[in-house]
Amino acid sequence: MYRHDGEDVFVIDSHIHHWDASEENIIHEGGEQFIQCFYDYHSAFTPEERLWDMDEYRKYSADRMIEDLFRDGHADMGIFQPTYLSEFYEDGFNTIEDNAHLTEEYPERFVLNGRFDPREGEAGLEELERQKDEHDIQGVKLYTAEWKDGSKGWRLDSEESFEYLEKCAELGITNIHAHKGPTIRPLNRDAFDVADVDDAATSFPELNFIVEHVGFPRFDDFAHIGAQETNVYGGLAVVAPMAHARPRKFGEIMGELLFWVGEDNLLFGSDYALWEPEWVVEAVMEAELTQDQRDEFGVELTHDVKKKIIGENAAELYDIDIEERKAKLRDDELSDEFDMADQYGEAAAD
Amino acid sequence: MATSARPTRATVTERLDRVDDPELDESIVELDYIHDLAIDESSVTVELVLPTAWCSPAFAWMMATGARDEIEDLSGVEECTVRLEDHMHEDEINRGVNEGLAFEDAFPDAEDGIADVRRTLDEKARMGRQYRAVEALTDAGIDPEQVVELRRADVSLDDEQALVSLADGGLVVPVPAEPMAEYLRKATAVGLVTDSTDRLFATPDGETIPTAEFEPVQRRARLAKTNATGQGSVCSALNEARNGVQGAD
Repeated sequence: MYRHDGEDVFVIDSHIHHWDASEENIIHEGGEQFIQCFYDYHSAFTPEERLWDMDEYRKYSADRMIEDLFRDGHADMGIFQPTYLSEFYEDGFNTIEDNAHLTEEYPERFVLNGRFDPREGEAGLEELERQKDEHDIQGVKLYTAEWKDGSKGWRLDSEESFEYLEKCAELGITNIHAHKGPTIRPLNRDAFDVADVDDAATSFPELNFIVEHVGFPRFDDFAHIGAQETNVYGGLAVVAPMAHARPRKFGEIMGELLFWVGEDNLLFGSDYALWEPEWVVEAVMEAELTQDQRDEFGVELTHDVKKKIIGENAAELYDIDIEERKAKLRDDELSDEFDMADQYGEAAAD
Repeated sequence: MATSARPTRATVTERLDRVDDPELDESIVELDYIHDLAIDESSVTVELVLPTAWCSPAFAWMMATGARDEIEDLSGVEECTVRLEDHMHEDEINRGVNEGLAFEDAFPDAEDGIADVRRTLDEKARMGRQYRAVEALTDAGIDPEQVVELRRADVSLDDEQALVSLADGGLVVPVPAEPMAEYLRKATAVGLVTDSTDRLFATPDGETIPTAEFEPVQRRARLAKTNATGQGSVCSALNEARNGVQGAD
């Protein structure tokens, strides 16, 4: 739990990965360039004393991840967002099965999301059912610019995609996280165009669409869609570290987001291991809009607004009762190991 | 005076400064994308490095062809070679740009040309600049209903200020020149403001702004600006991390 303004704040890191970009796992130059690009992001925004070296960045242990998130990183829970990139990585970059080891070991700490790719046809629909049966997924992470058999991406508003979204609705997989952001290879037809979210969100009001990275570099298009659709949310991964490295710019972006999308529809994410949540959570919770920004946007980034963004909004989407969860976390293995039980309140009197 | 026609570093740089990163709406010189510039008599070689190897090939293409076209327009230049380095698609782009191919010939799996992408980005850049120009006007005390009525002929520019004529010339208000000049350059380039009777400002769709829509249109314009500068901030951080270039902001 993070302590801020004299109050405990429940932190859900809604965007985390346990990836493997080791040289042995890379089967296409795109895989190497992908992790190099991630590392550029890492170097660009991380405080110097918290920089990782490239070798540990390629592949990190489960133990390190647990410590970075829960012991040091202020996170109380984390939501796994798998990213396969199977044409780049032999065993995938970050798969559901990789993540499942940890979610099974620490069921109160993690939420495991699945994924789908409509280009996989009937087999993909069956795979989605399997994910629900075996892992009881409540959400999926979608990578619309993933390469597959010569195709460089797909659209969320395509007929094939709608079939999958229907299946999600039927199975009770309600949280659709679409990666819309930094590019993989948009040619002239842009696979990270956010316009396809609009039609999907209108057509499936029972599903929630979380646009990861708030659509950057098409954040303006995202904000406009987010203003119109109540089931469209913004994931702050990649924007959040700007609170530390570019605070004024962060304030401006938050001003726009609060104005267009609103305080109930924004979710914090560190994007671990792009960044460790520790300094990102601190920077976001300490962030303030300047007086100019408050005047210009007519919004406030108050303690209560930050509490929603850092945990409460994700709890709402994933049906997490924060008080109930705190009671469980108090007695879990990690609270014991890292001596964190106290922060989750007093034990019930026997 | 044959020598005076030879390209110099200064004249070449001045030309390159006219080429913008289409997404950030900022010059490739300002953004420090030019890593090397070699001038040998009448041939010029420019080396471009972008903030990430994953920069959209379409955007990289626009910058590389823009640099080539600007330099080739310079008197005394007979040959210009553009070399994009450290990019996912440098081979296709370098070959295409230096052999004068069309985008869709350089990238056979592209679905169309890139004119539509260019147009969308230009329109966003125009809105971002409109935001600043309109802010300058309202800061000078000009009312929204007067702002939306303005036509090209109502503004005259010199180096220091723009003079805005209101009430049929009965009142002339000075505002800072830069935001207005930058706006006019883009609004002219996209064909929105070409004639002296053309309205100065427009909605994102290029329509006249109804007075009641002034605020919403200005908010959309602000959003376009925040997107470009926000992404600019990400790119400058990446450029610094990857290429050791010290960014602003």
